[in-house]
Amino acid sequence: MRILALDCASVSAGVALLDEEVVLGEAFTNVKLTHSQTLLPMVEELFKNTQIPMDSVDGFAVTVGPGSFTGVRIGVAAVKGMADALKKPCYAVSALEAAAYPFRSFDGIVCPLMDARRDQVYTALFRGKNRLLEDSAMSTAELSEILKQYENEKVLLVGDGAQKGMDAFVKDGNRFSLAPSQFRFVRASSVGLLAKEHIANGEDGVKAQALLPMYLRLPQAQRELNNKKKNL
Amino acid sequence: METYFSNSYKETVALGEKLGAALHGGRVIAFFGGLGVGKTAFVTGIAKGMGLTSAVSSPTFSIVQVYGKHEELCHFDMYRVDSWDALDSTGYFEYMDAGAVLCVEWSENIENALPDDAIRITITRGEQDDARRIDIEGLEERLS
Repeated sequence: MRILALDCASVSAGVALLDEEVVLGEAFTNVKLTHSQTLLPMVEELFKNTQIPMDSVDGFAVTVGPGSFTGVRIGVAAVKGMADALKKPCYAVSALEAAAYPFRSFDGIVCPLMDARRDQVYTALFRGKNRLLEDSAMSTAELSEILKQYENEKVLLVGDGAQKGMDAFVKDGNRFSLAPSQFRFVRASSVGLLAKEHIANGEDGVKAQALLPMYLRLPQAQRELNNKKKNL
Repeated sequence: METYFSNSYKETVALGEKLGAALHGGRVIAFFGGLGVGKTAFVTGIAKGMGLTSAVSSPTFSIVQVYGKHEELCHFDMYRVDSWDALDSTGYFEYMDAGAVLCVEWSENIENALPDDAIRITITRGEQDDARRIDIEGLEERLS
């Protein structure tokens, strides 16, 4: 089964083409450009460079969040368009799970963090393949409290908020480390491999129309947007 | 907080121009004040001070207008923005992340989404028709 995987849920963007477990090609950018400018040219180049026709793809995988509101919508919309045109299924993947995926053999806790501005992050916790915490939105202080449950384990921080986590947890001891820069951000190949895993576990893809972004409400957004009643 | 007085559209633009010239990189500039007090005039000055030649107009209908070759200045009107979802869909946070200067009219409506280091500008009417009092909070220096 051939899958095109896309990610642009956080600061970086990437595309990958996979045949079964084999990554045929991959592209990645981490520049301050809108994903709407970088994503589809990367897809086009990928098909060109691998000399694989686009209509031979059997399904599309994409990170549906949590992450940047606009980024998630760009990725989901791009996949919807391609999947609808080719009448192929879509597979939704958590951006946090994809960020943690390369570190399944890490001996300890893997903590992906996506920067959600101010002191807030989107986060989850994994030990190997096992998920310990659902995708959540919280402050780094709250996450620091949760991590105290695992005080005897090493913690690896990944994702575009990893440095922010490192800065916040420095007072919590020396069991924290940063994923190396080349693996710190979501790779589209991880998104594709996770989708394959979902399929192997019996998950059916969804039609383009049914693919939905997954937004998490930030603690900040539980407050009123304006301080007082409108007085205009 | 620093207080300034303006007696005309021209003077308001000139003060905005000084602020625009004093900015280094991305910043949120939050405007408070009712209809017709000169918020758009002030933003016209900021654009000038930043060296942009774009024509500035009120983004009442578009919600956001982006000025400059490199999208250096984003001009918002939050009058009709009344929820976090609506705010998200304006691109407010993305423009902030991209390092642009954000001028936000009707900041009253999104006060809890303003960053801590926002420059807050409150414009109120004076005794005379064209007289304005302009209070600027959060700027490190006095404009002169």
